[in-house]
Amino acid sequence: MNSSEPSSPGVENKILEVLEASRLVVNKSESITTVETVSFSFQKGEIYNLIGPSGAGKSSFLRLLNRLDEPTSGRILFRGKPLNTYPPPELRRRIVMLFQEPYLFSGTVLNNLEYCCPDNNRRDLSGVLECVGLPLNMADKDTAGLSVGERQRVALARAIILEPEVLLLDEPTSALDPASARIVEDLILGLVRQLCLTAIIVTHNPEQAQRFGGTTLMMAKGSLVESGPTEKLLTDPKTEAARKYIRREVS
Amino acid sequence: MEIKYIDALAALALVILAIGLARYKSIPAEKEMAYGSIRAFIQLVAVGYVLEFIFNTESIWLVIMAVAAMLLVGSYTAGDRDKHTGRGFPIALISMTAGSLVTLVLMLALGIITTEARYLIPLAGMIISNSMNSSSITLERVGADLKGNRLEIETALSLGKTWQEASRRIYRNAVRAGLISILNYLKTVGIVALPGAMTGMILAGISPLKAVLLQIIVSYMLLSAVTITSLLTGELAVRRFFNKADQFTG
Repeated sequence: MNSSEPSSPGVENKILEVLEASRLVVNKSESITTVETVSFSFQKGEIYNLIGPSGAGKSSFLRLLNRLDEPTSGRILFRGKPLNTYPPPELRRRIVMLFQEPYLFSGTVLNNLEYCCPDNNRRDLSGVLECVGLPLNMADKDTAGLSVGERQRVALARAIILEPEVLLLDEPTSALDPASARIVEDLILGLVRQLCLTAIIVTHNPEQAQRFGGTTLMMAKGSLVESGPTEKLLTDPKTEAARKYIRREVS
Repeated sequence: MEIKYIDALAALALVILAIGLARYKSIPAEKEMAYGSIRAFIQLVAVGYVLEFIFNTESIWLVIMAVAAMLLVGSYTAGDRDKHTGRGFPIALISMTAGSLVTLVLMLALGIITTEARYLIPLAGMIISNSMNSSSITLERVGADLKGNRLEIETALSLGKTWQEASRRIYRNAVRAGLISILNYLKTVGIVALPGAMTGMILAGISPLKAVLLQIIVSYMLLSAVTITSLLTGELAVRRFFNKADQFTG
């Protein structure tokens, strides 16, 4: 979408720029291109939905953005500098990824929140719990006894302690029942607005993408086939691949 | 007690008893028992001659070569079992060599032993066989636990942790697993089983009070060597699963 020149005002708002990134995974028996020459610019404070059929490379693409995986060709810039110029831990504190299945470390909710605090900065963590709509007395609860919805919210709380600039969410509500999913959706929307985060959300659900709004990217077979304002892309897709996919998912 | 070849041959009766029992119960192990017993006989007699030769020549180079050979065979055995890292042999070799060397050099420096072959070779043998087991277990645990806990590792990495921090729990558990056998040994030594070195001395007619002193030294020596081996094996094995960009490659 955004192809503005480096001197244009839009450049200040570019937070992540993907330039012809590809990833080829070589196994013993075969090599698979999981992401194929994707180029895109993500703007600060915006929401992006990443839609497409299973195996389209959505999660593989997401993993390139916080350098959990390396592109085999192309470049990705964060705030104008290539990802590999940042120490990986620092980069991942600024571009935090949440997985489909939230993993909480054994111990209490508080232990999990503290895990993300630097030792010399044990600030008051109750505000964070409030931020994700969890009661304060939840802090001392063992994570083993939490519901999936609560786990996802603790995972969100743990992520925002790091004060990231970008949140990568890999199907954050797919394991949740519709009611809990809506709560988490609202939370994500609220956090993005409140903290001026950029959120890139993988979703299988066009209706969910609609609720998130923002921009939608449609991926198929590793490539980015179409992108544009969510409302427009979902109601009037330009490509056959997007049309088919949206029709199938909505029905 | 003076032991002769005829006594060793007489003990074959015990092998025949074992083979007879296996055959009677149709346990498919008789061939292996026969082969193993003959192999043990030949191996031990050969080792006896080799040791006799080394002890008589008293050449430190021969001692070093013998210990190096033991290390190579031990680390090959430990590394060969490793299905995960793809570098089991060098990992085991480096860690077992470090564990053995540090321990033996410390013992020499403290004046507990001298460089005589009759000290160095049997002690190195005990160290290497114990380190081999611990290295093997640590390798297996690191590989299996890292591969089985990808989500935990990648969650930690995604929250800005380094590969060392992300794998710390698994590293510690793997090292601890490698230490279990020596820890159990320390707790039960002399009660559940009389260890080999001590048994040997008692059988050779030395007073139990003297034999236990040696056994105490041997126990501490094994603890030190096994701990160093296991720590290093864990460290080197974990490192194999990450690259310089703190990416999990397992």
